[in-house]
Amino acid sequence: MTRRWSRRRLTRLAARSVLAVLGGGVLLFLVVPVLSVIPMSFSSSMVFELIPSEPSLTQYRRFFSSPEWMAALGRSVQVALGTTFVATIMGALAALGLRRLRGTRRAVLEALLIAPRIVPTIVLAVALYFVFSQTGLVGTLGGLVLAHSVLAFPFVVVLVGSALQGLDPALEEASRSLGGNPLRTFFRVTFPQIRLAVLGSALFSFNVSFDEVVITLFVSGVRTKTLPVKVWDAILYEITPILPAISAVIIVASVLLLTPLLLARRSS
Amino acid sequence: MRRAARTRLSTALLLAPPLAFLTLLFALPLGRVLYGSVFAPDFTLAHYARMWTVPVYGRVFWITLKISTLTTVGCVLLGYLAAYFLATVRPRTRQLLLLGVIVPFFLSVLVRNYIWMILLQKTGLLNQALARLGLVREPLDLMYNETGVLIAMVNMLLPYVIFPVLSSLLAIPPELRQASASLGAGAVRTFWRVTLPLSLPGVAAGGLLVFIVALGFFITPALLGGPKQMMISNLIEFSVRQVLNWPFAFALADTLLVGTLLLYFAYVRLLGGRMPRTGFP
Repeated sequence: MTRRWSRRRLTRLAARSVLAVLGGGVLLFLVVPVLSVIPMSFSSSMVFELIPSEPSLTQYRRFFSSPEWMAALGRSVQVALGTTFVATIMGALAALGLRRLRGTRRAVLEALLIAPRIVPTIVLAVALYFVFSQTGLVGTLGGLVLAHSVLAFPFVVVLVGSALQGLDPALEEASRSLGGNPLRTFFRVTFPQIRLAVLGSALFSFNVSFDEVVITLFVSGVRTKTLPVKVWDAILYEITPILPAISAVIIVASVLLLTPLLLARRSS
Repeated sequence: MRRAARTRLSTALLLAPPLAFLTLLFALPLGRVLYGSVFAPDFTLAHYARMWTVPVYGRVFWITLKISTLTTVGCVLLGYLAAYFLATVRPRTRQLLLLGVIVPFFLSVLVRNYIWMILLQKTGLLNQALARLGLVREPLDLMYNETGVLIAMVNMLLPYVIFPVLSSLLAIPPELRQASASLGAGAVRTFWRVTLPLSLPGVAAGGLLVFIVALGFFITPALLGGPKQMMISNLIEFSVRQVLNWPFAFALADTLLVGTLLLYFAYVRLLGGRMPRTGFP
């Protein structure tokens, strides 16, 4: 009896370790490739080495001293800031309006507001490229801001929408019955409670725009290439050891942008 | 009464700017794509007919379905393993490990594809490692073929399976497994008869979502695939930017759009009519 029991325990232990190795392996498969680019970015040679034999900042220096790359980075930041502004305001307005509706009307509107994330990006890219080419928006920073805002908008609706859901309507009622006008009620009562979600949406929108490449490939002109589009061109048409360094910069920037979001998520 | 009217007015004022924004930049452009596929300028279905009659295009559809299916299978198998493992560890450890799933998910898709190119190319890190270990004599062809596309796509879409499966696994009351064990079922039998069936809704939801997103993939087949891995998105881009055949690109885009939406409705039904909260787990 005891022997059987211990054998059972042994098989259980073996099964658990196999599971840990396999499941942990899948997690490593997700994380390790992304991290591998960071040591590689310190390479000074043309050959890809995981651990550079002579680590240096050569590639970073080349990136930050190249007027072309810096111009692309500058444009990306400009477009991302514009997107943050447009998408956050539009998305927050939509979420505030959506909260006041009920039933079918609400469901239909919600589906419409989230639709830009469901439609395949390439379809949206072709559609916007066609309309932009007829209205002279191709190759303009404004056009890029508008296109990226469409993509970032649903995230804002979802993030601000779920913050609004956790809000006690009685507080707003109280403010109104005490004579606060709608604007005053919004800025004194509603907004302070959804401030974090709005800030998170802004960071998220910035990240969406900063990384966008599919739509941007279509609607950016030769002279308004953003950083991801220049990276795309470099991947396809030239072999350059500068790319791992740029990749590392993009990854670190995104992680820094998203850290406040993750921290807020954990504490809530 | 006056108050109700005022509330309605302010609701309309709140919704007017975002709705105008979406109409101009989303609904109208998509409408133009639908219109342009059949009116060019007179009514014609020739562009849709061309998709089905020219064998090359049929092959693109077939490859798109094949790659999406294989990606889904890969994601379900690996994702289930990861989710099952995550469900067995302590909550604090799980929170920490989940960061490894969430963070890469929000990092640049382009950069992650590029990293796979570095890893998988002939002189890449994977081939270097395999050669050093003496496992291969010649470097393996891991890129510009289906293998490369599948590895990168599974890598990028795994979180879509891990999250729903993990939440359905965590929703199973532990008493059920205890009951099964106390009735004499072994661990394997308990898994097949209790755990797996109860987690299947999560598997179905995650798998379907992976398939839907995979259908529209553009960057990965363009960078890690060869000419034979051209998917429908790549054909659309090719038709617009290289051949300038707009109506045909529109017809392709509409087909992808309608297919995606139909599957998406199936997905929403699968979740019991609940709109999924997109993107952010």
